[in-house]
This record gives sequence, structure tokens and C-alpha cells, in this order.
Amino acid sequence: MSDNKTSFSRRDFIKGAALGVGLGTLGAMGAYSYSSRRFEDLPKVQRKMQSFGTCRSVKAKVVSETSWFDNGKLMADIKSAGGLLVDQYTYNWPPFGDGTGLGKGSYQKGIAQIRDLLPNRLEEAWEITKAKSVNPMNAGGFAALVEVEDMDGKVRKYLLDSGWSFAWTDECFRREGIDKMLANGEIEALIVSHEHFDHFWGLPVTLKYAPGIKIYIPDSFYAEGLQYIKDAGHKGELVKVKKGLHPIEPGMASYMFDVPIICRVFGEQSLYFNVADLGLVSITGCCHQGIILFADTAYRELAYEHDRFHGLYGGLHISPFEDWDPKYDDLVIGLRKWNLEKVGCNHCTGIVTAKKFIDAGYPVVEGTARFRTKDKAYLGNGDTIRFAKV
Amino acid sequence: MSHGSVSFLEARKLEKRWKGPLPAIVNLLFTLVIFYATWWIFQDPRGVMRLYTPYVGYMYTRWLLIILIWVAYIFDFWPFRREWMEKAHPLVKGAILTLLSVALMLALIKGFFEGLLGNYAMAYFNPDQLTKLKGITEFFAAEYAATACLMFAAIASWLSPAWVVAMEEAPWQDLKQPVKGMSIWIVTFFLSTLIYLMTMHPHMGILYYPWQEFTSITPPYWEAFANTVSGNFHIAWIMCCTVVVWLMETIWERYPFSAIRNPWGRRLSIFFAIIAISLALTFFFYFAQELAWGEAIRGHKRDAAPDWRWLHVGETAIFFLLPALFLYMYCDNWPRKFSTPVNMLVRTAIVVAAGLAVYAVYYRTSHLFLGTQKGFSHPQQFPMIPTIWLINIWLINYWFMDNWPGWTMRMKTADELAAEAAAREAEHTWSPRMLPGLAVGTAVGVALYFVIVRMVPVVSESVTLIPK
Repeated sequence: MSDNKTSFSRRDFIKGAALGVGLGTLGAMGAYSYSSRRFEDLPKVQRKMQSFGTCRSVKAKVVSETSWFDNGKLMADIKSAGGLLVDQYTYNWPPFGDGTGLGKGSYQKGIAQIRDLLPNRLEEAWEITKAKSVNPMNAGGFAALVEVEDMDGKVRKYLLDSGWSFAWTDECFRREGIDKMLANGEIEALIVSHEHFDHFWGLPVTLKYAPGIKIYIPDSFYAEGLQYIKDAGHKGELVKVKKGLHPIEPGMASYMFDVPIICRVFGEQSLYFNVADLGLVSITGCCHQGIILFADTAYRELAYEHDRFHGLYGGLHISPFEDWDPKYDDLVIGLRKWNLEKVGCNHCTGIVTAKKFIDAGYPVVEGTARFRTKDKAYLGNGDTIRFAKV
Repeated sequence: MSHGSVSFLEARKLEKRWKGPLPAIVNLLFTLVIFYATWWIFQDPRGVMRLYTPYVGYMYTRWLLIILIWVAYIFDFWPFRREWMEKAHPLVKGAILTLLSVALMLALIKGFFEGLLGNYAMAYFNPDQLTKLKGITEFFAAEYAATACLMFAAIASWLSPAWVVAMEEAPWQDLKQPVKGMSIWIVTFFLSTLIYLMTMHPHMGILYYPWQEFTSITPPYWEAFANTVSGNFHIAWIMCCTVVVWLMETIWERYPFSAIRNPWGRRLSIFFAIIAISLALTFFFYFAQELAWGEAIRGHKRDAAPDWRWLHVGETAIFFLLPALFLYMYCDNWPRKFSTPVNMLVRTAIVVAAGLAVYAVYYRTSHLFLGTQKGFSHPQQFPMIPTIWLINIWLINYWFMDNWPGWTMRMKTADELAAEAAAREAEHTWSPRMLPGLAVGTAVGVALYFVIVRMVPVVSESVTLIPK
């Protein structure tokens, strides 16, 4: 390997230099890139401390957290249709069943079966779609009634999501009196967290009672979703929420995340509340962006009482199919630094996750496991959680 | 030097059918058509078999890769006779060797991992065993088993070629096939098992509630260092090893280690240099993400999650393997006219530029034609599947089909083999006269690194890859 000639040669210099560039670059990569000194190169968090007002209290009523009733059936459908990346409108699930079977449907063929019956003749529409869809009785849906009390004591109501199965959603609406609230105009708006089947496809049930209701959707809806809002009979204002903060009323704001989601969905909006003398409260549909990102976004962007993340309610989309991954343990471990004081979770959080939260000592508000909710670790159907300074 | 003493791949000479870049363009188009047709049939979520779940499809992709490596690199096409390899039509060879590889792959996955290990050793290799556990659906049982199985292939696809590239098949290099192949295969399989048990087994052990603390180390030993309990940390450096071993073999020609005259010194230096370079790349790709997207946040679900960042290290590395292999297989490892270090540097620069371009094009457009979801960090977004799927097709084209249709194949004469070896020996040298250049080059390299560190946030801020 040695060469005794030591006189300078341009060719050898260039050879050595070419080799040295690689050595120097790779050496620096190895020595510096994961050293503690690298943190000096990273941008420091600049908190924007954007104010969105305060409210006195927030209450969430679980209208339905059971989006589907049998995990095995749902996942078998997804597996047979080709997995979690398959376009949800092709699954042939209700209400877009066209009788052609799993993975062979489309929005156009599905809606053609029931379009004329929406939103007023839902029972007939459901009977038709039930006959042509895959596992229609496994469909449930997610919906929550959110009541915000302003600083003067006035309460405003919002519906977060509109379920999936027409039959189940309507049953839940009637059980919790949502049907009458909608018909009486007591509910200010429907906030659709994202385009997923279990949060959005039950839209005609809301529109049956309040076709003129104001609707907030993420501006990332696909063409099929936008058409469905029209086909379902919506007559009111449609607000497409762009990425970022969207204040709704003092102390209440939506935040849209442009996050890719399974079953070809994109974007989700979740709700922030700034409760007086208490701190930040979040209410989510599925929280596909992740609760840590949601909390971290609030930290970077917003000003809230006592600079404290007080509590949360909703689906946290950790193990929705009771699946598990070590990264979920990272979440269970990572959530501790936020010192949450009140946690109500259900739906796509995963019962395993809820139990791990309880094992980890988080202040989980347990439910009553009624109306087909499976476990008391979840805040279940018909249960309520309130965030207010006592 | 005769044909018998060198492998078939070394003994053959591929000659362009047409002058200029036409053969490369024709082969690129030919392989892309096959890629897209097979992607639609086997992987695409809108296609026929829809294996991109993603782990099931990823498992088959990884296992096909390692079987191809075993057939061509470890067993030198045994039991097929050299005569047949020399004379059979590339299409016939391609079809037969590919079908054999697929059959071996299915036998290993279904027979060895699911059947033997999954029923008599570790339940997580067998989806049917997993579905017996309360609450686990068939879908995730298949995904978990596929994850375990594919990680074994990922480790083997670093170690198996490393035994040829770095260890020069020692100490069995003088044996005949199949004894040589079998010896290397058994040793690399054993080492893969060892590394699997120390990297991915603890990952599998914490998939269950409660953590399986009696059968695996929980929490895993890397938690504090990697800021995650996920085995994706290991995927990062192992994927970089699988990439670096091929960079070493192709665009770097094993230089400068090939200049070491002591055989075991040379072999061990290449083997550990592959690991060292891989670790350097691993840390840099992780740091680059911090520079572009900010510090990782533990528990985050998407692009700020440490576990995803580690996974993305491996994904990023694969983007650079594509142009490296294309340069080597279809562009005759251009350029060749300079000294070896300069050739290496130019090729590396080309691969870096092309790798970045492929990365950008992939994230900008892949969702439009692969049926995947747009975005960087979707849990089902696995760029390693289409990239390795394409690499498999290129390897079949290059190893099994002698670069048909753009190239023809003939066997080198003994003189040509001897001349090649002599030229390599003359060129792959080290001289103390290179030291001044080496010192200056090293300083430039360090400076270049810090320039890159300054540029990454600026480029990230000004370029939007994910379309609205």
C-alpha cells in the first residue's frame, strides 16, 4: 500500500483531494450531525402568542363515539378491498353501496341509488343502501355536541361531525335530542372534522333536520365530498377552512392541519378552546395530526390561560383498530410533559391506548359504557365531559 | 486467470447494441413499463392484488431483493451450469431465474418464517397465531408478521452482499459452488438472525399489551439514544448499510480500501467502513430533517416523530441507490476517464444530485400514479416499496437478462480478465504524495458539510414538494 516517491505531483494532489472531500464530508457528518452541538443550528421556537379570546366553559356530549361496531369486520373489509390506502368511496360501504362488492364501488354509482331521497326520505334511502352495501349494519358514526359558554354566560351549541350510518346516527340524534336542537335552530353550525366515512357520510341526517345549517369543512375535501354536500341537500353557508387558525367565536377556534390520512382523505380540523382561568382545552374528531402536534401547535401559535394545556376530549387516533406500534408508546410517554389535568377519550383512541393512559396515571375521565360503547375506559355514548373553573 | 475462477457476473462482458445513450434509454423504458405493469398487478392499492397494505407488499419486495442477491452474488447462479448461463436467451434466463427466485421467496416466507418459526418459535411470524390473541384483527396480524419477516430480509440484504463486497467471500473464496455459497449463506443468515434478535425482536416485544418483558428487553436499550422505543432507529442504519454496500461495490469500486494489500486488513476495513459510513449518513439524514422541519417531538405522529424521522433516514438513503445503480448498470459507471478517486467524486456528485431529484419528483408526483397518499409521513406511505421494486426489476434485467434488450453479452477472454485485474491493481493504489491533497480535500469536505448544513433550512423553506 505504500509508495516511496514523495515529490509533489499535480495528479496525486488531485487524487488525494478528491478522496479528502469524501473523507471530510463523511467524517463531519458522523462527528457532528448527532452531537449535542447540532442543537445550536436548529431554529429556536418563536411563540406567536396569538390571542383568540376566552370562554367561561366548554361541555362535550358524546352523541356517538362508536364509528363501527366490529373491528374484525371493518378490517376484513379493508383488507379485502386492498388495504388502508384504498379510496374510501370505492369500498362499497353505505351509503354508497351499488351492489358490485368490496373495492368496486364509486361515489357516482353509489349516490345514484339514493340521491333523490336525500335528505328527507332517509329511511327509504337507508333501506336501499343497506341492500347494496357491504356490512351496512357494522356502520355507526362519530358525532359530538359541543356547548360553549361565553364570558357573559350565553351558551352556543355546535355539532362536531355527523356520523355515518343514517339509521344509527338518527337514533343517536333522537336519543340525545339533537334532532330537536337542529330543527329549532339551536345549533349554530356543523363542524366536519374531516372527510372520513364515519364522520361525514351521515351528513343527510343533520340536513334532514336543518338543511340550512352553516357547515365548516377542511378546504382539502375531494371532489366527491364536495358533491356529497350538495347531493345531501345542503342549502346553507359552506365554510372551507384553510390550513391554520380559524377563530369561530371568542375562546373557540378551529385549526386545520394538511395531514394525509388513510382511505385517501386529506386534512383535518380540530377545535381549541381557551377556558377562563383554566387553560387550553382541545376537542377533536379523530386528531389524525396527532395530539402532540395539536398541543405543540397551540404552544407555538396561541396564547391561552396560564399557558397551560388543561384537557382534551375526542378521538385521538392512536390505535383505532386496536393495533399497536412502539411509536404509540412514545406518545403515551411523550404526553406526560404536557401535564394534562382532564382527559376524555374514545372512538379512534383505541381501548388499549386508554388503558395505557390509565396505567400511566393520566387523569382519564372514565365513562358508563352504555349504548354499545365497549369499555368504561372510554367516555362513551351519552356521556358528558365539562371543562370549567370550579 | 480463467472463467472458472471468477464469478459469472465478472466473467461476462456486456456490449452495447447501439452507440450513444440509446441502450440506456431503451432499457430504462423497458424496465419502467415492467415496473408499472407489475406494480399495478401486485402492489397498487387500486390494482389487482393490492399487496401495498403496506407491510405485506413491502415484505415480498424485500425478500425478492435478497433472493436475487443470493442467486446471483452468493450462489453464482448454481445449480445452473455456466454453459447455460452463457448461451440461453436473456428472456428465457430472465423468466426461469425470476420464477425460481419467486418460488424460493414464497418457500422461505410461507415455509420457514410463517410455518416453522411462526408455529414453533415466535408467534409474531405467523398471522394465524397472532389472530388467536384477543383483539388483533386479521389485517394487523398480517402486517405485524410481515414487518418481522421483512426486517430479517433487510438485515440479510446488507450482510449477504457485504460478505462478497467486503469480505471477498473469505475464507471460502477458493471453494466450488454450492459449498462456497452455502457457507456464506449460513454465516450471513446466522449473523442476520443475531442482529435481528438484538434490533427488531425488542421492537416486536413491545407491540403487545402489556409489554412482553419476559421475552424481550423492554424498554429497548436504544430508547435514550434514539428518543424512541421504536425499532425504526435500527431500520435507519441498516437501510443505510444496504445502500452503502452497493455504493462501495459500484460507484466507489471499493476504493480506497482496495489499495490495502493485506487481504484481511482490506476485508475488515471495507466491512467496518460500510458500517461507519452508514452511521455517518444515518446521523446526517436525521439532522437534515431537524434542519428542515425542526427538532423531533417524541409522541408526535407524523413528520416530527422521532420514529418516523429514523424511518425516513432509510427511505432517503434508498433514493440515492437508484441513480447509483442506474449509473453503474446502464451508464457503464460513467465517468471512467479520470483517476479512481476523481471518478468516485464525480459519480458521487451525480448520484447526490440525481438522488435529490428523484426524491423531489417522488414526493411531488408519486401519488398521481402509484396509488399512494400524498405527503411525507403518512403511515402507509412507503417509498422504499416502489424504489426497491424498481431496483429488483433492474437487478433482474442486469443480472439475469444481461441488460437485454440494449446490450448483448459475450464472455471475456482470459487475456481480458487478466488485463482488467492488472489495470485495477495499477489504478487502485495509495501514495504518500496524495497526502497534501488529502489534507486540503478533507478541509474542503468539512467546509462543504457546514455549507450544506446552512443550506438545508433555506432550501426547505423555499421549496414546496407536497402539492396542494
